[in-house]
Amino acid sequence: MKAVIRGIGVVGGFGTGISTLEKILMDHGPFIESFAVPDGQPLGGEPYAPVDTRNLKERFSPRSLRRMDHLSRTALLAAALALEDAADPGGNADTGVAVASGYGAVRTTFAFLDTILEAGDAGASPTLFSNSVLNAPAAHISMHLGARGPNLTVSRFEMSFSDALSIAVQWLEEGRAPSVLVGGVDEWCPVLGHCHHRFSKTRDAAAFLSPFCTGLERARIAEGAVFFLLSPEMEPASGYGVVESVESGRLPRDTPTFPKDAVILTGIDSHRDSARPRLPGDHRVVDYTGYYGTLPVGMGFDMAIASVIVRRGRLFSVPDSTGGETVVDGFQTEKAPKIRRACCLNITPSGAYGLITLASRPDFSENSRPQGLMKS
Amino acid sequence: MDIKTKLKTIIVEELNFEDLTPAEILNDVPLFGDGLGLDSLDAVELVVQIQKHFGVKIKNMEEGRTAFQSVNALAAFIAERLPE
Repeated sequence: MKAVIRGIGVVGGFGTGISTLEKILMDHGPFIESFAVPDGQPLGGEPYAPVDTRNLKERFSPRSLRRMDHLSRTALLAAALALEDAADPGGNADTGVAVASGYGAVRTTFAFLDTILEAGDAGASPTLFSNSVLNAPAAHISMHLGARGPNLTVSRFEMSFSDALSIAVQWLEEGRAPSVLVGGVDEWCPVLGHCHHRFSKTRDAAAFLSPFCTGLERARIAEGAVFFLLSPEMEPASGYGVVESVESGRLPRDTPTFPKDAVILTGIDSHRDSARPRLPGDHRVVDYTGYYGTLPVGMGFDMAIASVIVRRGRLFSVPDSTGGETVVDGFQTEKAPKIRRACCLNITPSGAYGLITLASRPDFSENSRPQGLMKS
Repeated sequence: MDIKTKLKTIIVEELNFEDLTPAEILNDVPLFGDGLGLDSLDAVELVVQIQKHFGVKIKNMEEGRTAFQSVNALAAFIAERLPE
């Protein structure tokens, strides 16, 4: 069984909603740098693009949101948007919730530690503590959206999203939930900004995020959330296509398998130490991290973009920040075949990789791929 | 700022009542249940905040039950125990 993508919700420094992200793809920008503001913290850090969650109050009562921190609000907004995009704002009572986060609630966790440093154990804030636990966003999503199916939070840094997606698809396969809200969320915090500032001393402050320039530190710390409403494949077709497979493995022991007709979204986020994937030379390779920035669950944003690519059957060119050229060129002609498959690949410096393959529904068949849905 | 006004500001800011202003909290309205609607987690947060802002400890549930009746009750509790 495969999983149909029924709706997508995205929130990032670039704005809110899949239509906003789609417009950025169509317009070839702007890059995430355009939305960055000074971090304004005494520790010193680099500008970052903040998420705006104020319109959550159009969907939920302010009283019900008062205990939620920035991370949980960001996640809830993206999850609610996914249901709205699926024209299913009420959701299903048995919907499962699988949330990925590489860092968790870092802003709240450091604030909680500060309360102890300032006033000792007696000064530890219980409200901050309740939000600092990793599964707080998933709990808030379930409570606010009435999703009473299985609920799980996964943290494996850059592999968090693909692991959460594997679990979500498995729930659908096992019939444990009729639909699953699966997504990822990460946030910026002053400590993270400071660490990145120290790490990237050599960063050219004016340089854009440049995935294909090796050895340069051009990452741009970002925050955001992305969620998908998934249903079993027998559900009605969706323009976003289906999750055809989710692979994980470790190089060089394992080899990622790319369908020959797929475009590959690499998810290289311009960290100096980013792994350089050994990609097959005959595949179209593109990187959209410049639009959403650097964050551990960035692979989820790649999957959102891949969904749009599969729905529209075309790639979106990306201006090359170093020369104003187009990274993917020559694929937009009328004679170019429609793109029906897109792979999202993420490889850590240690060689762990996650690979998600999406396919449009008409091109899908059980015999199209040799391996099962999940390969580990 | 008097104790009651400071307490209301703490309730709004530290308990994140974004839909309330301190002036909208009445002195005699119950803080818990049908009044302001605070719950047990808020109670623990208030204990922490009162110690932080006033240096006054609420040592056990019995003291808390008396102090947390309303802003009036809490202000009186604090006033009696304010450090010199």
